[in-house]
Amino acid sequence: MAKRRSNHTSVIEPDMTPMIDIVFQLLTFFMVVINFENTKADERVKLPKDLLAKPPEVKPAEELVLNVGFDRDFAGRKLSDEPIVFYAGDKFTINNFGPLLEQEKRLAEAKGGKGTIDETTVILRADSEVPTGKVQELIRKCQEIGYTKFSLKAISEEN
Amino acid sequence: MGSKRRPDSGGKVEIPMAPMIDIVFQLLIFFMLQLKIMAPEGNFDINMPLGQSSQQSSDAPLVPDIKVKLISDANGNLAQLKFGERNLGVGDGAFEALGAEVLKIIGTPGNPATKDIEVEIDADYELHYEYVIKAVSHCTGKIDPQTKQLVRYVEKIKFAPPRLPKNS
Repeated sequence: MAKRRSNHTSVIEPDMTPMIDIVFQLLTFFMVVINFENTKADERVKLPKDLLAKPPEVKPAEELVLNVGFDRDFAGRKLSDEPIVFYAGDKFTINNFGPLLEQEKRLAEAKGGKGTIDETTVILRADSEVPTGKVQELIRKCQEIGYTKFSLKAISEEN
Repeated sequence: MGSKRRPDSGGKVEIPMAPMIDIVFQLLIFFMLQLKIMAPEGNFDINMPLGQSSQQSSDAPLVPDIKVKLISDANGNLAQLKFGERNLGVGDGAFEALGAEVLKIIGTPGNPATKDIEVEIDADYELHYEYVIKAVSHCTGKIDPQTKQLVRYVEKIKFAPPRLPKNS
């Protein structure tokens, strides 16, 4: 055995090909599965579940996603009973959200022209524990700005 | 020149793979960190122009609009589900009964004569939003157990104007 070792001085190279194959397959999997469009959804919002909630076949041309939920700790416990609108990295109470909706309307009209908000669907992602009255207040605020189309989101539940 | 550079010994030229593997691993880690496992989300469309939520049109419709009332307890849980003036109770059974009542009114699912029927959801201020979604869902339709397809009842859903909270 000792004799054999002394005679062979070349470095033993492991075959890397299978590992590279697997890594490329994993990379392809994650690239295909990843969905950058879901970034507007806020993870703090625990949506209600429903059997009939099916993903829409046609995506609305213009949409405004509003996440309404609660400040929660890591265990999911509510830190406050006041519902909060999570929007653009900030937190607003529903009463304070009016000026931002006005701003959104101005931006939408500057981008798409007058009447853009008639075609805009407000997608409401409300936490299952939010009081209905608060959701209605938010809908009312949107109506006052001029939004008329609303879509209530729920998690698709398999039967 | 060319003949000099070529190795005479016949040894193979090795391409350095380490930088490529580094990049691939970095890409892999990036995509793994970006990935969020999210359940598919569905939606219920409602059309609510301002001022039409509680107004009745002057022309009497062929079939009266459906009023669903959801009464909550102090904790925001459902205490009573009412279809018109009838009490349907609480729990999943009440929502099943709501679906059955809506079906009774529209006759057959997808009936074109009932396209203009509207369901008005009148919920208490404190009621948890999940019950409203349940009510909207059971008025919208059901999943046929045989075909697993959606059987649509009523397409138009609206909300009654919000009331003030009970404890205010």
